[in-house]
Amino acid sequence: MSGFKVNRRDFLRVLGWGGASTALVGCDMPTTVTLEEGKEDVVAYFMPEEYVIPGVGVWYASTCTQCAAGCGIHGRVREGRALKLEGNPESVINRGKTCMMGQAGVQAHYNPDRLTQPLMREGGALKPASWEVALKKIAEKTASANGDRVAWLSGAVSGHQAVLINDVLNTFGSKQHFVHETIHASVWQAVARDMLGDAQPVLRMDKAKSILSFGADFLGTWQSPVHFATQYAKFRSGKRGVLIQVEPKMSLTGGSADAWVAVRPGTEGILALGIAQNLVKRGWAKGEVPAKLKEVLAKYELGMVANATGVAGDRIQRITAALKDHAPSLVLAGAPVEGGENGYDAVSAVMLLNILLGNIGQTIEPAAQFAEARMQARSGGTRGALEFSKLAAAKKLDVAFISHANPVYHAPGFMKMKDAMANVGFKVVMTQFPDETAMQADVVLPLYSAIEDWGTHVAAYNGGVATLSFQQPLMEPLYKDTRGFGDVALSLLKQRKPKEYAAFNDYYAYLKASVSNMPAAVAKGDKNKDAAWNALLQKGVLETKATVGKFKVNTATVAAVADVSADVQFPYRLLPSARLGLWDGRHANSPWLQESPDQISKVVWGSWVEMHPVTAAKLGVKSGDYVRVTSAQGSLEAQAYVFNGIHPEAIAVPLGQGHQEYGRYAKGLGVNPYAILNPVIEKKTGEVAAYATRVSVTKLDKSARLVHMGSSDTQMGRKLVSTIPATVYRRTEGEA
Amino acid sequence: MHVNEKDINEQIRWAQINADVLRSMENPRPAYWVAVAVCIAMVSCAVLAEIYQYNTGLGVTNLNNPHMWDMYIATFVFWIGMSHSGTLLSAILHIIHADWRKPIYRFAEAMTTFSLMTAGFFPMIHLGRIWNLYWVLPYVSDRGVWPNFRSPLAWDAFAISTYLSASAVFLFIGMIPDLAICRDNAKGWRKTLYTTLSLGWRGDDRQWRNFRKTYMLLACFLIPLAVSVHSIVSADFAMSIMPGWHVTTFPPYFVAGALYSGCAAIITLFVILRYFFRFEEYMTTAIMEKTCKLTFAIAMVWTYLNLIEFASTWYGHNIYDKEVLIYKATGPYAWIFWTMIFCGSVAPFALAIQKWRRHMPTMFVVSLLLNLGMYFERWMIVAPTLSMAYEPHQFYMMYGSIVQWAIVFGSFGWFGLLFLIFVKIFPSVSMYEVKEMVFHRRRHLDHETAVKFGRRARDAGTPATDTH
Amino acid sequence: MSFKNILENWSAFRKDAEAGGHHKYDHRWGMAINLDVCTGCNACSTACYAENNLAVVGKDRFEKGQAMHWMRIERYWDDADRQFPERGASFLPMMCQQCGAATCEPVCPVAATYHTPDGLNAQVYNRCIGSRYCSNNCPFRVRYFNFYSYYETWAEPLNQQLNPDISVRDKGVMEKCTFCVQRIRASNDKAKMENRAIADGEVQTACAQACPTGAIVFGDTMDPNSAVNKLWAKHEVKRGDYLSKKPKVNAEKRGYRIFEELNVDPSVMYLERVREEI
Repeated sequence: MSGFKVNRRDFLRVLGWGGASTALVGCDMPTTVTLEEGKEDVVAYFMPEEYVIPGVGVWYASTCTQCAAGCGIHGRVREGRALKLEGNPESVINRGKTCMMGQAGVQAHYNPDRLTQPLMREGGALKPASWEVALKKIAEKTASANGDRVAWLSGAVSGHQAVLINDVLNTFGSKQHFVHETIHASVWQAVARDMLGDAQPVLRMDKAKSILSFGADFLGTWQSPVHFATQYAKFRSGKRGVLIQVEPKMSLTGGSADAWVAVRPGTEGILALGIAQNLVKRGWAKGEVPAKLKEVLAKYELGMVANATGVAGDRIQRITAALKDHAPSLVLAGAPVEGGENGYDAVSAVMLLNILLGNIGQTIEPAAQFAEARMQARSGGTRGALEFSKLAAAKKLDVAFISHANPVYHAPGFMKMKDAMANVGFKVVMTQFPDETAMQADVVLPLYSAIEDWGTHVAAYNGGVATLSFQQPLMEPLYKDTRGFGDVALSLLKQRKPKEYAAFNDYYAYLKASVSNMPAAVAKGDKNKDAAWNALLQKGVLETKATVGKFKVNTATVAAVADVSADVQFPYRLLPSARLGLWDGRHANSPWLQESPDQISKVVWGSWVEMHPVTAAKLGVKSGDYVRVTSAQGSLEAQAYVFNGIHPEAIAVPLGQGHQEYGRYAKGLGVNPYAILNPVIEKKTGEVAAYATRVSVTKLDKSARLVHMGSSDTQMGRKLVSTIPATVYRRTEGEA
Repeated sequence: MHVNEKDINEQIRWAQINADVLRSMENPRPAYWVAVAVCIAMVSCAVLAEIYQYNTGLGVTNLNNPHMWDMYIATFVFWIGMSHSGTLLSAILHIIHADWRKPIYRFAEAMTTFSLMTAGFFPMIHLGRIWNLYWVLPYVSDRGVWPNFRSPLAWDAFAISTYLSASAVFLFIGMIPDLAICRDNAKGWRKTLYTTLSLGWRGDDRQWRNFRKTYMLLACFLIPLAVSVHSIVSADFAMSIMPGWHVTTFPPYFVAGALYSGCAAIITLFVILRYFFRFEEYMTTAIMEKTCKLTFAIAMVWTYLNLIEFASTWYGHNIYDKEVLIYKATGPYAWIFWTMIFCGSVAPFALAIQKWRRHMPTMFVVSLLLNLGMYFERWMIVAPTLSMAYEPHQFYMMYGSIVQWAIVFGSFGWFGLLFLIFVKIFPSVSMYEVKEMVFHRRRHLDHETAVKFGRRARDAGTPATDTH
Repeated sequence: MSFKNILENWSAFRKDAEAGGHHKYDHRWGMAINLDVCTGCNACSTACYAENNLAVVGKDRFEKGQAMHWMRIERYWDDADRQFPERGASFLPMMCQQCGAATCEPVCPVAATYHTPDGLNAQVYNRCIGSRYCSNNCPFRVRYFNFYSYYETWAEPLNQQLNPDISVRDKGVMEKCTFCVQRIRASNDKAKMENRAIADGEVQTACAQACPTGAIVFGDTMDPNSAVNKLWAKHEVKRGDYLSKKPKVNAEKRGYRIFEELNVDPSVMYLERVREEI
């Protein structure tokens, strides 16, 4: 054999051709053979990695964490990579559907700008560190901290993550868990609590025959958009329901309205009272109307309301009649109403309509709350950050943990969050990305993406079925130096109470034990049975027993709604509108979502200033011109987008852009309207009145093409989107 | 004025013809080298732009979703149109025995070949994957894959390659007797070249007979080819369903436009060659006048076809077509549209004025204007329809990027370079045909005189001293 | 293709489009999009990016009109003359309509776009030479050209998300909505292995699957029991020749196809938007 040379590669090739059958016998082959300096890896097909079936996609159930709605998802995994997310049909929240943000969940996971290792502040700069060092540093710094000088600021959390945060704080004896969400429904929830006795009533759009929405963008950004969209589909089918949207700037939901009513910004509550007065006057109000209420309503005559709101009297009457004709109805209030300086009163006026129209118990049902309070959703609004910033600024915090939130970016400018944070003794930020808050931290702990992590979620708005939704890893972590949130929280707990948590090697063990040992009052936990646990993970959701409340209707809180004051210096009201996609700005680092146009203006990759043609004409501005929007707090510059779907007294600047950090796709793009919010606080709830800032607009000497999708704003006589009157629809299919 | 002016000096000696033409092929003056350098610089621009485009992708041209075609295709149509000059002068006028064409057809024929060689680049340059260009050809593939014979673009590939080869052969065949003259007078490498190319031409009777037959045959072959090639180019547009493209009159419209721009280009080169090579004896004012009249007639045909297209669109009740027409005339491209109308339909009236058309500098400017109009015409065919067709969401207005401009610019350099090389290597005036012309004119004169004086025409023989 | 074959089978070639023309179809995949419940939320569009390896082009190239959104939501204002758009916006999900008589097909010089036996208008990336005539001849303007090598723009590790079931296109190639052909093929293979026909609903396009309101219904229009076929029938939209087609029995039925007058026989039926007068 001396003349016959066999090199290593040839040998392996021969083995590859002929060896398949022999190899199947099951000799102890390594799964990966490295050839020649490790340049080439051969994955042996006959010994697949766990979960890997070459060429075949496998679906795993999990939970979407792109917003706090808690939709169930299925993730497609192939060759160990998570590729695509779809809705989990088992989830009562989204019924197998997803929104654009859910679809982009994979981009939050594969984002090129993720943090890959812990960072520690050394000499003023953040420098890479190992987990051991970082955790040791935290242990040192927190050893002496206690009581309310320790705080945790997070976004909306629920399930076992909420439990762990609570437990960590408990070890310090602190109760300071602040929840901050820019896009929230806190005022609505407060009003519902006060007027119905239930903060999170179930809204049955599928039962409603008409919806009057005061700025509630339920198809876009309000509470649980995908859930409401599935409900909306039912609402529009069969005997088609009527949607009336009253708002100062067209939201995504407004785009689908049968009647879109432009209202003077800040006067939605007055309009609601006007409709209530009209209902009572025409004798259409259901049930007894208390005398005190009649007194409140008395001054909301059509003329006065029309004057204040800019909505014609006959229009108000037609809206009232439509609500009566298309019963049962459902009346909602969203961000522009909640965010007014009179937010609570205005939402109360809206809720009053539900009561007068007899919707309570019909289309509004008591919530079915998850039975274990510790795991219920901690949702919040802007109050959390406000309180946190005040404490921090007053140097009342020694240690702050921040997770699931980016307050330095999200908090309105007047809170001076960055400065306030500087006064906190020691800041630990747990995050996936190098965001604005992480840059201010003393220790930054890089987290797993939602696709790599374990978790459980209890939706704040659950559509009437209390479920525990499971989040499980769809693939191995991309970066070995990142850790799951639950694991980090457990590490913190182990630092404080090593004995109690010694049993849990990791968050997975904790979760499995906790779910298996769930009290029977919550769910029937099949204890310690792997099969049951696996079945649960397969399904992704666990329907639990719920505590269903009862309504206690109370109209005593309904009061007159203050009109908005005019201002010569700042003639326009700023609407920091939210959009499905970039949400509050947390998805600005997703290229898909940046490239996906705003649904209404169709602008991509940037910020813009929406204004009505009347306003634009007054300012001499056309679409694409740069304008400066100035409030008492500051100013911002962006290109104008002139369109009809906004009230002439309003100027809208969408949320989501204006990041100073947050990776290559977000950084330095556009402006953040929250930077120039006035410090107006809604008095009864303590939330920031985000829609109460007044601004002036000046034209700048600069113009460019506004980068947007699509050319013609009209169909130019073509039959592209054809519209028929509802009467025709009823004749052909409405009664079906 | 000189209404009965002669097309050519009938008394010119044949040796003089040879000498004049051969002189034009020698001793390039500094201006020639400057021109060559300029052309090479222009071509370099295009080459650099193409390298950049090839490496980066077609996005650098500013093309986009509605505008998948733009200047490349317009320029392609322009050069194809240009190529019709030679065919018109050589083939059509040859067949109808318009012998005034003889002093100027050679360079027109060269123009045909060179503009085709330029035009051919553009469908390639504009391809996304130029390296797969050959898939358009019906070569025998082991996978049994053929081009799509229904596609006008596949027809283009056949039409252009056929036309290019036919016109090149036509140019070459027509040059053989002249190449023999060159051979007899050349030294060095030129001798070798002309010896090879003249294919052993001795000028004997049998050769002349065969030559005549071949030449006539090729002329007859070339005429339908010329008409078909531009009809097929028009099919690139007319076969689509796009408003402003799907026009029944496009084939004749394109052919007319092609002849038009070809004639205009002949005038331009006529003036240039006459000036630089001192060809006043051959490229006479009288021939210029005839060329101008021909161009004017074609301009009017083109104008008429334009008006027909507008009228049929206007009264045709096709809302999409009408939109595009109105958009052309009033939209952002309106300045191009009206320049085209001015240059294409108003400027040619300068050709109708005898005083002007005898003034070479004026004709030079006018011919350039005409071709500018024709370039704009091509661009107005391609771009506005794409800017605005059926789907209003995708209406978009754009202009080509610097990369497109560089390549289009370079194509003129390429054409110029080929032409410059041609005039120094090959006789740009056909010597033997001019001799024929002179010969015939002399006979003709004598015949006229004979008629005038009621006598039998003299059989004028070839002066013994004037053999070549 | 021989001349004899054409002569002998002339009648087979002369079937009208309603009967499938000269194609022998196994399936004819089609869609019904209910514009009354389409909210214009972009879920479909983003799902399409995720499923089909669509390139993100960035701000500058988007501005140039070089975006690659196979599925785009067009938004129109119908009340441009009024002070406010009182009937909301008009949203139109627009993707390749998979025309039965597609205008893109005959003009491709290399036959890179052709009709499949399941009624799809297929684009063979490997065959495409990038002449772009197909896009010029598409009345819907739904064909997107790879003006750049976009695979270079997937920053690590974003490229790990790419769907291995379909290719990543290089510069110079035309692409467009495929009705998620990779999903159709996968289901086809599965059904074949299990020796059965594809069930209705077994194949869903990414857009239809994501659509929160279920506005998009996808299925085989040749399957009499499919949801999409029932919708087509209910709304009286038929495939075939525009000129010879009989008018609707009930003209008020909501179904229509866009640019029906061009007779390209789209496979997507839209249902009219409904608006109540308030």
